[in-house]
Amino acid sequence: MLLAIDTATPQVGVAVGVDGAVVGRVELARGQRHAEALAPAVEYLLRATGISLDQLAGIAVGTGPGLFTGLRVGVTTARVMAQVLRIPIVGVASLDLVAYPLRHTPRLLVAALDARRHEVFWATYRTVPGGLQRVGDYAVGDPAELVAELEAHGEEALLAGDGALRYRAEFEAVDRLELAGPEFAAPSAGALIELAHARFEREEFAQPTEVVPLYLRRSDAEIEWDRKPA
Amino acid sequence: MVTSQAPTAGRPRGELVLGIETSCDETAAAVVADGREIHSSIVSSQVDLHARFGGVVPEIASRAHLELINVVVAEALVEAGCDFADLHAVAACHGPGLAGALLVGVSAAKAVAVCRSIPYVGVNHLEAHLQAAWLDEPDLTPPLAVLIASGGHTMIVIVESRGRYRVVGQTVDDAAGEAFDKVARFLGLGYPGGPAIDAVATSGDPRAVRFPRPMAGEGFDFSFSGLKTAVVQYVRKHPEVPVADIAASFQEAVVDVLSTKLLAAAEAAGARTLVLGGGVAANRNLRARVDALAASSGRRAYLPGPALCTDNAAMIAATGWFRLHSDGPTPLSGGATPGLRLPVVG
Ligand SMILES: [Zn+2]
Repeated sequence: MLLAIDTATPQVGVAVGVDGAVVGRVELARGQRHAEALAPAVEYLLRATGISLDQLAGIAVGTGPGLFTGLRVGVTTARVMAQVLRIPIVGVASLDLVAYPLRHTPRLLVAALDARRHEVFWATYRTVPGGLQRVGDYAVGDPAELVAELEAHGEEALLAGDGALRYRAEFEAVDRLELAGPEFAAPSAGALIELAHARFEREEFAQPTEVVPLYLRRSDAEIEWDRKPA
Repeated sequence: MVTSQAPTAGRPRGELVLGIETSCDETAAAVVADGREIHSSIVSSQVDLHARFGGVVPEIASRAHLELINVVVAEALVEAGCDFADLHAVAACHGPGLAGALLVGVSAAKAVAVCRSIPYVGVNHLEAHLQAAWLDEPDLTPPLAVLIASGGHTMIVIVESRGRYRVVGQTVDDAAGEAFDKVARFLGLGYPGGPAIDAVATSGDPRAVRFPRPMAGEGFDFSFSGLKTAVVQYVRKHPEVPVADIAASFQEAVVDVLSTKLLAAAEAAGARTLVLGGGVAANRNLRARVDALAASSGRRAYLPGPALCTDNAAMIAATGWFRLHSDGPTPLSGGATPGLRLPVVG
């Protein structure tokens, strides 16, 4: 049994699964804040599926990139649960969890999450047998930078995630690009169960202290510091 | 991963509460039995991470808390000789403090609560500073006049009984610790400012410059931003005056205002005991002055050691235990409140 948590976007997503199949999931797209909703959602899900904590063999968590506050709630919760239960943990990038449910498209697949400050986090994927392969690094930047990248690719593409929806107007101007709907706005807790299961099978898990959010952006203070003349 | 080799017979007895504190720049965890007996108190300071910025950077603090939390909690359990399974409850500071920082401690505590099916208690940081006094002085008898002074707060609280508080004075602008930081930075003494000024001032003359005593004689509120400005203006006009004299004279003004108002508040409330809490309470000059004022006015001064004055998790665990018994657990749907106020009577 695996417990999966993703809080990289306004959504609080929790799922439990066995052998890579989802037994139950809670996805609150909006409502209470992460810290308020997460622990009750975990309790509810375990109770409703009749799964006890001692049946859990591992914890999976979405590591972003995404909203810093949400990520910290999810990653801290997952790390401490793994510590208390003495079970392994795996971190999976939340952008992968946006892309994975759309893996059957023959097109170039792009996941983009809202990074606030008129920026998006994004990554690009291609379908490979049995899953997805990421092309290039996880990135953060102005939607215009992603638009430029997509135009450079110039091929049929599918763009998913709340960053795509938020800057819809900018992306709709790109040729041969289709936007996935709100159903694909947030990382899928179900995808996390599937992807994490494969990692656990390969014993690619970590110690709780090794799992940290993928911030991609430094603190403003550090950025300012480097701008100062020496 | 946590392991504890302690034999069952050697485990601490009583209701063990794990306390977690992440409201500012200290990642702390502690195990306290029955709200009184400290079995461990681990504090991991991030001072070095923030030093070059001259103050706490919230985003850096939040990231560091997340990275440190598992290890600090594990150390607290190992040092106490117990395991998660021995815990009666888990408490975390849920405000006031930095939003992102608080959420790490709150999330960690709730994760422990869910995994062990034990109560979670969200603790008010200011109340914890007040309750810290009982940790090594269980016979403390209210009413008490308490000065909490740190980088984040400056207030005088009358503790009418354990759990009943009256805020009689607070800062209208900067906190006392903030004033120390700003003046230390201006004088090139480094960060954090409190210990830096305390050290330099020992070789200076506290009567060299008569800096203003802001709001002296005007109730129990404080103001420190004008004092900082006065120091800056004075140094610009008199660059020849040694830094040690400036530091000593500035510290003298702060200590004067803090201690005089604390005594006046105690007199007004009929409190026989003066108590200090918060990081500024580690200032040697302030401690000596409060001691002297208490003695000369026929009062008692209770000055907890610096480890209990500065931010720590033992005070969170102790307060969590107290609140669990008085108010019950906090729901798991409870969040963090950066601007949380002290619960007061009246
Ligand atoms: Zn404090």
